[in-house]
Amino acid sequence: MNDTPNNTPLLRLRDVVKVYDTGDVPFTALRDIDLDVYTGEFVGIIGKSGSGKTTLINMITGIDHPTGGEVVIDGTPVHRLNENQLARWRGRTIGVVFQFFQLLPTLTVMENVILPMDFCSMYLPKERVERAMDLLEQVELADQAHKLPAALSGGQQQRAAIARALANDPPILAADEPTGNLDSKTADAVFGLFERLVEQHKTIIMVTHDNDLASRVRRALHVADGVIVQEHVHRPRHGA
Amino acid sequence: MLSPRWRKVARDLSSHRFRTALVAVSIAIGIFAVGVVMGGREILVREFDTDYANAATPGATYYTGPIDDAVVRRAVAHPDIAEAEGRHEVTLRYRWRGSAAPATLSIVAMRDYEHVTVQKLVPQDVTHWPLRRGEIALEGSALQVADYRIGDMLEVETADGARVSLTVAGFVHDINAVPAQFTGTETGFVAFETLADLDEPEFFNRLVITFEDAEMTREEASKLAADIRADVLETRGVTVYGTSVPEPGSHFLGDIFKAVSLLLLALGVLSLGLSGFLVVNTVSALMAQQVRQVGIMKAVGGRAGQIARMYLATVAAYGVLAVIIGLPTAAYAGRQFTVFAAGILNFRVSSYTPPAWVIALEVAVGLVVPLLAAIVPVRMGARMSVVRALNATGMSATSFGHGLGDRLLGLMRGLPRPVALSIRNTFLRKGRLFLTLATLTLASAVVMSVVSVQASINRTITNLESWWNYDAQLILGQPTDALALEREVTGMSGVAATETWSGHPAVYVRADGTENESLQIIGLPHDTTFVRPRLIAGRWLEAGDTDAVVINTDVNNDEPSIALGQRFTLDVMGEERTWRVVGVVSGQLSGAVIYADRDSLGDIVGDPGVNRVLVRTHEHAPGAQQAAMEAAEEALDAAGYQVVSTRTQSGLSGTIAEQLGILVTFLVIMAVLLAAVGVIGLTGTMTLNVLESTREIGVMRAIGAQHRSIYQIFMSEGLVVGVMSWGLGALASYPMSWLLTDALAGATGIPLAYEYSWPGVGVTLAVMVFVSAMASVLPAFRASQVSVRDAIAYE
Ligand SMILES: Nc1ncnc2c1ncn2[C@@H]1O[C@H](COP(=O)(O)OP(=O)(O)O)[C@@H](O)[C@H]1O
Ligand SMILES: [Mg+2]
Repeated sequence: MNDTPNNTPLLRLRDVVKVYDTGDVPFTALRDIDLDVYTGEFVGIIGKSGSGKTTLINMITGIDHPTGGEVVIDGTPVHRLNENQLARWRGRTIGVVFQFFQLLPTLTVMENVILPMDFCSMYLPKERVERAMDLLEQVELADQAHKLPAALSGGQQQRAAIARALANDPPILAADEPTGNLDSKTADAVFGLFERLVEQHKTIIMVTHDNDLASRVRRALHVADGVIVQEHVHRPRHGA
Repeated sequence: MLSPRWRKVARDLSSHRFRTALVAVSIAIGIFAVGVVMGGREILVREFDTDYANAATPGATYYTGPIDDAVVRRAVAHPDIAEAEGRHEVTLRYRWRGSAAPATLSIVAMRDYEHVTVQKLVPQDVTHWPLRRGEIALEGSALQVADYRIGDMLEVETADGARVSLTVAGFVHDINAVPAQFTGTETGFVAFETLADLDEPEFFNRLVITFEDAEMTREEASKLAADIRADVLETRGVTVYGTSVPEPGSHFLGDIFKAVSLLLLALGVLSLGLSGFLVVNTVSALMAQQVRQVGIMKAVGGRAGQIARMYLATVAAYGVLAVIIGLPTAAYAGRQFTVFAAGILNFRVSSYTPPAWVIALEVAVGLVVPLLAAIVPVRMGARMSVVRALNATGMSATSFGHGLGDRLLGLMRGLPRPVALSIRNTFLRKGRLFLTLATLTLASAVVMSVVSVQASINRTITNLESWWNYDAQLILGQPTDALALEREVTGMSGVAATETWSGHPAVYVRADGTENESLQIIGLPHDTTFVRPRLIAGRWLEAGDTDAVVINTDVNNDEPSIALGQRFTLDVMGEERTWRVVGVVSGQLSGAVIYADRDSLGDIVGDPGVNRVLVRTHEHAPGAQQAAMEAAEEALDAAGYQVVSTRTQSGLSGTIAEQLGILVTFLVIMAVLLAAVGVIGLTGTMTLNVLESTREIGVMRAIGAQHRSIYQIFMSEGLVVGVMSWGLGALASYPMSWLLTDALAGATGIPLAYEYSWPGVGVTLAVMVFVSAMASVLPAFRASQVSVRDAIAYE
C-alpha cells in the first residue's frame, strides 16, 4: 500500500498508548497507535471531537508524553527526552501551529517570528530579522511585520503563527486544527500555504475537522476512540 | 537589537503599568520601611553616641558651698580626675513676652566658655561666642517648648526680688541637660560676670569632674566619687550638699532611647518579612497569569532555564524600580525621622548619611529578597509541562466543589448571592489569602496594641491623679514658718484648702559606704487629705509616729535593703538619722520618695520650716489650677517669699504623658507603616484576583451579571479579608498589648498600669473596614468594567 520516496520514515510511532489520569477511572485516549510518515508527506488527521486527534499530534510534537510505546522522529527517540531536551529539539525540528494562533500578545508579529530562533540560538542575530522578513513575505504579511497580534485579523494571525513555526526551518510542521477558527475563504488560503510548503519538501501533519480540506490532503487518517480506523491515500497529481 | 525575549520582558513591564507600579511600590515599601527604620536607628545611635562621647559627660557632680579656682585646680591635679571645672548654678523665676506666667530657669555660669572641658556645650545658633555680660544662651531643647528668638528679653527675678533683663544671644546644645520638655525648666548659660547682675555671689557652687578611668562600674565610680569628695573637698573645708554619680557611659535618657531603638529594630525586621511575603504573593500571581504564554514559549523551543531567566529579569526590573523609588524616599523620611527623634531626645545630628550597610540592605531588600522570593514560583511556572501550561484557562474555579470553601458555601444559602460568591472567591485563593491576612492581621493587632498601650498610659496617669488630692504646688527657696505661709494663701479666691509640706534631698549611705543621692524625703501632716496613698504593704503614717516612714516602690527598687519593717539611716541636710519603714506605697513617677511626719522631720533637721505650699482649688480644670497657682505665686512674691518653682498637677500629668508619648509616637509610626504594607498588599491581592478572574467575570457578564453585582462581589471580598484580619488581630492584640506595655514599662522604668482598650478594638474595626474598602475599590471597579469580549481575549 505504501509507495514511499525512501525506506526510513521521518516519523515513526510504535504501539503508542496514552492514558489520562482522570480521577477514579483512567481514560485511554490512544490505543496502540502505529504510524509511519515519510519526508514530504502531507498527512491529515480527521475524526470526531474527542476521538484523540489532539492527543495524537501532542505525541508527535512532544508536547505531551506517551504512556507507552515509541515515538522516533528523524532518528530521535522523542519519548525518551526530558522537557528541556524536548524544547530544544522541538524548536529545531517541528514547527507547531495552534488552533488559537497563540502569538505572544506583547510582541510584534516580527518579534514573534524571531522568538524561536532566539530560544534555539539559530542564525546570527543580524540574519534573524532578514529571515523573519522572508518568512513573513512568504505568508504575505511583510506589511504587518511591526504590528502587535491584536491588530491583525484571525487569518493574518494564523499566517503569522505559521511563519513563526517555520522560523528555524524545521523539516516538520504540526498543526492542530489550524483553520478551526477561520472562515472558509481564509481557511482556504492557509491550506494553500501548507500545500506550497509541501512542495518545498516540508512534512506536514495537520489535524482538521473540515471534510472538504481533508479530501484535499494526500494522506488522510481517520481517528475514532483512540484508534486509526481508516486511511485514505489520494493521488491527485503524480503517480508513483 | 534587543532579542525578542528581552523585549517581551520589557513590554510586559511597560504594558501592564498598573501592575508594574503596584509590585514596585510593594517592594519599595519594604525598602522604605527598612531604610527609615534601620537607617534611622543607625543614624540615631551613631549621632547620639558621637554627640554623647564628645560631650565629656561628668563622671561626678558635687553640689557644694562656695569654692574657688584653687579648689578646681587641686581637683584637676588629683590622679583619678581627668578634668574638673567649677560652675555656678542657680534656679530663678523669669518672665518672657511669649508666656503669661513666670517659669523656672536654671542658670549656669562658667568662667571660660571657649575652653569647656567637662559637660561640653556646642554653640548651635548664637550671634557671637563667648557670651557677653547681660546675655543668656538657652539650651536648644527650649525651642521644643516655646518659640524663643534671638534678641528676646528674659526678665529674671533674683533671689533678692530684683528684676534683671537678660538678652537671648542664641542657643547652645548640651546633651547632658535635661530637656526642657521633660521638666518644664529651661536651662540657660550666662557669662560669669553676669552673676553680679543677678545678685549672685561670684563663686562656684558646683564641681563637675571626669574620671581618668572611663570604664568603671557605677559602684566603683560612686566609691571613687566619695573618696574624691573627702580628699579634695571636705579636707579643704568645702561643704558638699550632694554628689551625683550617673551610670558611667550611660545617658539619662538611655533607657527610653534603648526602648525606641529596640522598637525600631523589631519594626525593621517585621517590615522586611512582610515585604518578602508581598513579593512572593505578587510573583506567584504573575506566574499564574503567564502560564499559557510559558506554554507557548516552550512549544516554540524555549527551555525552562531560558524562561525562568526572563521572569527573574522581570522581577529584577521590579526590584530596580523599587530601589529607584525606595532609596530616595527612605533617605528623605529617614532624615525627617531623625530630626524628629533628635528633637525630642535632645541630641545633635551632624550627618544624616546612613551607614553603607543600611544602603546595601535596602538594595538587597529591593533586589535580592524579591529574587529569592520569586525563585520558587518562577521555577514552578517555567517547569510546568507544555500541555498543562497550554490547557491552563485562567479559570481558577475548576477544582471548586470539593473544598472547604464549597462546603461552607453550602451552609450559607441564606446569604445574598454576591456575598456568597465573594466568600467563595475569598476561600479559593488560599495561599494568597493567607499571606494578605497575615499582613493585615499583624497590622491590626499592632494598631490595637498601640491603642491599648495608650490606654494603659492614660490609666497610669489617672491613677496618679487619684493619688494627688491637690491642684498646684509651689516650692520656696528657703524653709519658713508654716502658719505664716498658710495664712498668705488661705482664703484666696478659687482656693479651697492649703497645706504646707517640707521636702529635702536625702542621701542614703549604703553598708559599703557608697551613697545614693537620688532620694527625696517629704514631710507632711500624718493626717493629710492632700494625698490618697495607695498602700501596697504596711500602713500609712499615724499620729505619734516619730521615726516611722512610708516609702514608695521606687525606693525599694533602687535600694532593696530598704524594705518594710527595716531600719535604715538617711542623711538629710547634713543630719544623720535612722528611720523605720512602716508602709510601702506605689510609685508616683517622680522617683524615689520617702514620706515622714512633717513635725518629726522638722525636729530632725533642726528647722521647723516648710518649703512647699500645696493648694486645692474649687475647680480642677487646668485653667483654674494655673490661675490659682499664679495668684498664689503673686501673693507669696508680694509677701517677700522666694518661689523657686511651681507646677500644677495637670501640668505634671502633661509632662509625664509627654515622656511616655514619645514611645507611643514611635509605636504609631510602626503601626502606620505596617498598615501601609497591609493595604498595599491587599490592593495587590485584590488586583491580581480580579486579573485572574477575568474569564469568570466575563462568563458572569455573559449570563447577565450587572456591573453593580460584579463590583459588589469584589468589594465584599476585600471587606471579608479586612474584617477577618480585624477579628484575628483582636485575638492577637490581647497578649501583644500586654507584652508591649510590659516591655515599655521595663524599658523606661516607669511602672505602667495595664489596660486593654475595648474602644480601640471598635475603632480598629472601623479602620480596617475603611482601609480594606479603600484597597478594594479600584480593583472592584476594574472588575466591574470587564466586558465579555475582554474576558475571551484575555491571556
Ligand atoms: N488532560 C486530559 N485529561 C483527561 N482526559 C483528557 C485530557 N485531554 C484529553 N482528554 C480526553 O481524551 C479524549 C481525546 O481528547 P483529544 O485528543 O483532545 O480529542 P480531539 O482532539 O480529537 O477532540 C477526550 O475524550 C478527552 O476528553
Ligand atoms: Mg482537538
